[in-house]
Amino acid sequence: MDENLVNNEPTIEETAVLLIDIASALMSSGAHTMRIIQNVSRMAETFGYEMDLSVFQMSIIMTIIRKEDSGKLLTQIRKIKNLHLNFTIVSDLSALSWDTYDRHLPFNEVASIYQQIISKKRMNSWLVLFLVAAANASFCGLFKGDFMAMLFVFFATFAGFFVKQEMMKKHINHLVVFTTSAFVASLLAGLGYVFQVGHTPEIALACSVLYLIPGVPLINSILDILEGHVLIGIARLVNATSLIVCIAIGLFTSMLILGLEKL
Amino acid sequence: MTVEIIRLMLIDGLMAAIAAIGFAVISNPPRNAIFVSAILAALGHALRLFLIKSGLDISLATFVAATCIGLLSILFARIIHCPAEVFSFPSLLPMIPGLFAYRTILGLIKFMQSTDSIKAQGFMLDFFHNGLTTLFILMALVVGVSLPILFFPKLSFSVTRKY
Repeated sequence: MDENLVNNEPTIEETAVLLIDIASALMSSGAHTMRIIQNVSRMAETFGYEMDLSVFQMSIIMTIIRKEDSGKLLTQIRKIKNLHLNFTIVSDLSALSWDTYDRHLPFNEVASIYQQIISKKRMNSWLVLFLVAAANASFCGLFKGDFMAMLFVFFATFAGFFVKQEMMKKHINHLVVFTTSAFVASLLAGLGYVFQVGHTPEIALACSVLYLIPGVPLINSILDILEGHVLIGIARLVNATSLIVCIAIGLFTSMLILGLEKL
Repeated sequence: MTVEIIRLMLIDGLMAAIAAIGFAVISNPPRNAIFVSAILAALGHALRLFLIKSGLDISLATFVAATCIGLLSILFARIIHCPAEVFSFPSLLPMIPGLFAYRTILGLIKFMQSTDSIKAQGFMLDFFHNGLTTLFILMALVVGVSLPILFFPKLSFSVTRKY
């Protein structure tokens, strides 16, 4: 009888699907390219394959080659889902790749742990909303905003981030989401400017949109470029920059509506 | 004077910690990583404030603070078995030069709308001054935090290893 069947060893197709699933999950959760390659090739090695991987903004191309029999190889392309930052997935998959490597976990177990990891629930969205609003308010404090400015920023961020969460659930284009969210937040914070509440309404207006700054994609893009993955790094940079331009457009629109550009 | 600086640094660190917690939860990190990023943000931001107060340029001070965050994050990563970037990225976010970015855009808008060419020159100056500051601080943040990852690649990619 075939030894593969006795050991219940996975076929090359099954292995390739699992590995590219993991790579694409890491990519859409916000890992940088080097980490994706390291994690996935470590797992491929454990399953007895060599792996080559190309990461693009929209898709991943992966080839795995059987170590004992280099005639057995498979190439796959997988679409990457929209970026939805989730560092729990990055951290857990990274740990899973080491577990697989060090303890030689069987394929089925790895697959079931992977399913558990990606189906973990996110933090309660109302709690996130509150924490982000508080964060942006204290961010305003860091820029020497007074108490009234911080209060305005808190409510502006609350409204803006709420709009963002709701629009994200409806899968609206993320450039539109960022523009609208920046517009809502800066409109509310700008009211403080119009009525001259407190001593630093200017800082409140400036800080109201900062929760939208795509910090993680920006850092990832520079990290990718520094590590030699220039193409994907530039793609990430262009994406992040277009989001920043959208934030600026939203801010600019509400300043024009409130008549603040003359100040 | 020294007491005053320490008081300012404490307030600064506290607010940076709250800001880091809020910006961290957007990316849904593991629970213990949230607290680490709060601690790192507080240390980093207070350090930056101290350096600025003692006369260092803001982008250089940011670079030093970001490098410290990067080094400490690898240390913490080994302790809690979690990739360093999971908490080093959120702890950088309170240092993002938001106000400079805002003033850059404002300078651009004013330049665009101004009809007086002498005033327009002043706005252009504002635009370049604030824009370059924004750019340099951003670069300082990213390069500073990634230096430790580039210097110790083996270490930073094996922190989630338990055996």
